[in-house]
Amino acid sequence: MSDEAAAYARRTKRAAQLLFFQRHRRPGVKGWELKRTLGRNYMKVIELLDQELGKLGLEIKVLQEEGQPLEKPSPEELDRALFVIRLREPLTATDARLSGWRIDDVAALAATVAYILSRQGKALQRDVERLLETKFPGWVVQYALERFLRRGYLTRDESGMLYLGWRSRAEIDQKLLLNLIMGEEPPRAQEGAPTDMEGSRAPMTP
Amino acid sequence: MPRTLDEGKRRERVLRLIQLCRTAVERGVDPFEVDVKDMLDLLNRYLPGWRDLDELSLDAEALNRLAAVIELQGNWIRYRCSLLYVDPLVVEFKVRALDASTLFNDFVRAWRPVLEYEQLSPQQIKEAVEYWNRLPSLAERLRRLPRAPWIRPSRMSLDEMLQLGVFSAQGFEQVLSELAAELRDRTEREGSVTYWGFIYSDTYEETVRRAYLTSFLITYGYARLELRGLDEEAYLRPTPAEGPSPEPQQPSSFAMPVDYETWLRLSEARRLE
Repeated sequence: MSDEAAAYARRTKRAAQLLFFQRHRRPGVKGWELKRTLGRNYMKVIELLDQELGKLGLEIKVLQEEGQPLEKPSPEELDRALFVIRLREPLTATDARLSGWRIDDVAALAATVAYILSRQGKALQRDVERLLETKFPGWVVQYALERFLRRGYLTRDESGMLYLGWRSRAEIDQKLLLNLIMGEEPPRAQEGAPTDMEGSRAPMTP
Repeated sequence: MPRTLDEGKRRERVLRLIQLCRTAVERGVDPFEVDVKDMLDLLNRYLPGWRDLDELSLDAEALNRLAAVIELQGNWIRYRCSLLYVDPLVVEFKVRALDASTLFNDFVRAWRPVLEYEQLSPQQIKEAVEYWNRLPSLAERLRRLPRAPWIRPSRMSLDEMLQLGVFSAQGFEQVLSELAAELRDRTEREGSVTYWGFIYSDTYEETVRRAYLTSFLITYGYARLELRGLDEEAYLRPTPAEGPSPEPQQPSSFAMPVDYETWLRLSEARRLE
């Protein structure tokens, strides 16, 4: 291995450490932090790491501050951008269940995100609660909404209006979700996933 | 000049228009529910009849709110043309109709979670060990802190306490009653006085004291705080009854910052007068 290749291998390893281990309240690393640690041509290192991660079904995503993906960013935008690692392909239903999410919580999140999306990205919390309470008890709804807010899937302003948070924008294919709920995408063969509303309450820590 | 019945009705109609626009913007309802053209015609008809500054401010506020609705209508059209548009009612119906299991499966297909490890990396452990080795003991760190001088407890006279403002020569209720009487005197002709005009005093300290006492006048129902016009200037109006009203109808709170810069500006303006 040439000196240059060895140096890149070292820097790729360092980039993986930076990106995998949570350093701030939010996951991910800012572009300027990567530049400071990996050097001026850090994007080359990120591309190499992305190729390696691709073999594992993972990818590096470059996001704006609010979570929207950045397409063809300028160097200045890259400095401010957030680099995160996420799954390249969606999870299977079985894997999603094993990751600690309760079916009811995911269903509540799906309903909430779809409801907010259909209302131009904002909806009153009490309207969302009213919708969710048709399927789940009030205390479950409250608990789930607070969890979604803490995890960054939602944000709330002082007037009780809910918006999609950075994590919803970063992790959810909004168009696909709406299409699936509207029944415009053929359902993929999934294993049965019965509701666990009546079952024991497992901790939801994705 | 007292308002005629027509003027009162016109004013009420414009206030309703403002409220409608506000609801459309804040509640996210269909902005096309507001008939902008009709509202503009209405404002156009009323405009020649407005006389005082309050009415013109109301007209400007209504125009401002209508502009916000028009902006919302533009966004609404853009959104409806976008790929993400689906009828909200249909989505709500679908969500209600689907069971939790189907919603779960749909979500998982559209979800690609971000990965994060909440654990220490070898680098962090190395840094932590180095930090631990460099960190002096707690006793050592406490020894380095500057010590406050020890003051033996002693007696304080009433005069000293009055001087420090710990005690007041007058009872609080009496001070409030005097301030309420002053408010009634100063609003005898106009019915109200600007909040800053009332609390202002020659010194900033006294202005803050009057603001503090005025907040109690409002809380206890001796006075009402009204916000008027586009910039929501605050006015004080004494309550009609001699004593405090038994219970406010719609209790609400409003923060009134009494900052030094505003006091300085007022002080300068008064000096020039």
